[in-house]
Amino acid sequence: MKNLFITITAALLAALCGQAIAATKVGYIYVGPRNDFGYNYAQDQGRIYLEENLPGVATVSFENIPENADVERVMERMIRSGVTVLFPTSYGYLDNALKVASKYPEVTFMHSGGFKLAPNLGTYFAGIDEAMYLAGVTAGAASKTGKLGFLAAHPIPQVLRNINAFTRGAQRVNPAITTTVVWTGTWSDPAKESEAANSLIDSGADVITGHVDSPITYTRVAEKRGVFSVGYHADASKFAPEGWLVGAIWNWGPMMVNIVKSVEDGSWISGHIRGGLKTGDSILSAYGPSVSSETQDQVAALQAEILTGAFNIWQGPILAQDGSEKAATGAVLSGTGLEGMDFLVQGVVGQVK
Amino acid sequence: MSDLFSPEMLSFIAAALRSSTPVLLVVLGETLTQRVGVINLGVEGQMLVGAITGFAVTLASGSPTLGLLAGMFAATLLSAVHALLSLYFGANQIASGLAVLILGAGLSAFYGIPYVGEKISGFGSMAGVPLLGPLLGQLSVSVLIALLLTPLIGVWLYTTRTGLAWRAVGESTESARAMGINPLLIQWLGVLVGGLLSGLAGAALSVDYTSNWIENISSGRGLVAVGLVIVARWNPYLALPAALLYGGSEALYLRMQTWGVGVSPYLLSTLPYVIPLSVLVVTSGRLRQRGGGMPEGLKAVFKGS
Repeated sequence: MKNLFITITAALLAALCGQAIAATKVGYIYVGPRNDFGYNYAQDQGRIYLEENLPGVATVSFENIPENADVERVMERMIRSGVTVLFPTSYGYLDNALKVASKYPEVTFMHSGGFKLAPNLGTYFAGIDEAMYLAGVTAGAASKTGKLGFLAAHPIPQVLRNINAFTRGAQRVNPAITTTVVWTGTWSDPAKESEAANSLIDSGADVITGHVDSPITYTRVAEKRGVFSVGYHADASKFAPEGWLVGAIWNWGPMMVNIVKSVEDGSWISGHIRGGLKTGDSILSAYGPSVSSETQDQVAALQAEILTGAFNIWQGPILAQDGSEKAATGAVLSGTGLEGMDFLVQGVVGQVK
Repeated sequence: MSDLFSPEMLSFIAAALRSSTPVLLVVLGETLTQRVGVINLGVEGQMLVGAITGFAVTLASGSPTLGLLAGMFAATLLSAVHALLSLYFGANQIASGLAVLILGAGLSAFYGIPYVGEKISGFGSMAGVPLLGPLLGQLSVSVLIALLLTPLIGVWLYTTRTGLAWRAVGESTESARAMGINPLLIQWLGVLVGGLLSGLAGAALSVDYTSNWIENISSGRGLVAVGLVIVARWNPYLALPAALLYGGSEALYLRMQTWGVGVSPYLLSTLPYVIPLSVLVVTSGRLRQRGGGMPEGLKAVFKGS
């Protein structure tokens, strides 16, 4: 009994001291499960990195929170428990976050991917198409059939950018290569994704990649059928130890450390933070066993050119499927041409509308 | 003839069978449930509970067989809730079924969180089987189970004494009672067997078909199956073609995109719903003259008596 009392007192003291030392408590909210090896997983890896790399920071997180008034309650509960920096990581949380932010001006909100601001709400995001281009180079070098398969949910600009970047990367190695797109019409339906991947493989594709919530299903099908896979969102190589080539993945950790640091030293101001391959917020995952060292060297050289600005993956000529010119030789596609991309490049088999 | 056995045709047939299997199992189960005069809309929730239980047990035990059995057991338990509410307490069957659907979806989502992103191994490949290897290698164990169950259930329902008793209960509980049958017992069994097969369908989806678990993995296939029971006219033999209408058109529309067909993917994705519906519309006029096939006892559910 006495021992128990001492233990409890010690624990309480430790907790009190801990609170005194922990300068910042950071809250994370995810729309789906954190272990989906997709978008939510990548955000959660950022949280883990933050906790490991910024001393004195403690984090709390909630997963599977729907994009409605529920998330407001979760945010308020987190704030009442001492959270001073909040990462509502789903796009659909934006309006709810703005509402809660106006009620708690002393709390800093960082929304993922939004386009609205408040004095205490900023946004962060990163382009991943450059990493996807490099993954395309890897896929183009690995493919023997000259056919790549892309499993995609909805034809929104971000998805079209990834398909086009991937295809242009592959065309750099093999100009005759094609990417076949199968739209599943949903972000998440493993049965349909499995059948879509199978139909791509049956049509001759020997590298499968995709842009759906989780890369697990299509990497598994590719592995089972003995073809290569390229991941997206997060490193899913454990589901395809043989056929995994590489993945275009998020690396939110360093950006999140900088954000929380700036809040701690008072230099944070509301704004849109946008990163990419150049800033290290989207990267290539580790390579699988079958990627040759020549390919790895070629990708590394290209990555260096992108980082120095000597090469832009959207430099012309860029031709759409119907042959119309989207960027002339020497010109670079940028701004709304990128943000609102509504076409597929030549070499892609598939329909946008 | 040679076209029929070309690799392209074989892979399409295999894809259609794979897509149809989870739906076919639910259609078979729900057909039996409705043949005893009970409608159960909870099959979607039962599928989900079967899927997560099957996945969890396969992960823990390493045995996909044990996973399928556990999924069947868990979904049967959930279907007992529907039997209890509707048969024992006399609750409205539509409301009770929806309650079971929501309960199953919620339970599976909550208890499924730690299983997202886990890796299991399903059944091995059947490519080594002599002669049928090229086709069987593209199929999985649950496809064969569903294909075997279809004629077995048909023969049982139409040619055995117990099958007759089930059909009698579905037409009229009073007449069945006069024949010395306990209608309540058979209605309970009808709901539980429907639960068993929906659990097998869910576990087949997570353990065998995709080797993956995510929230709402069934994506409405349970409810589609309830609709297909009507397309199949409450006839277990017709369950296979009805399920193939859905699964085949799902496989077809995904495949058509790889052929570079110049049709909008939005239009193509409606095929799995448009085709069964058209078949229903085309066949219903002729069938209405012959009574439509709906068990008399089931009609009472919709008349609110």
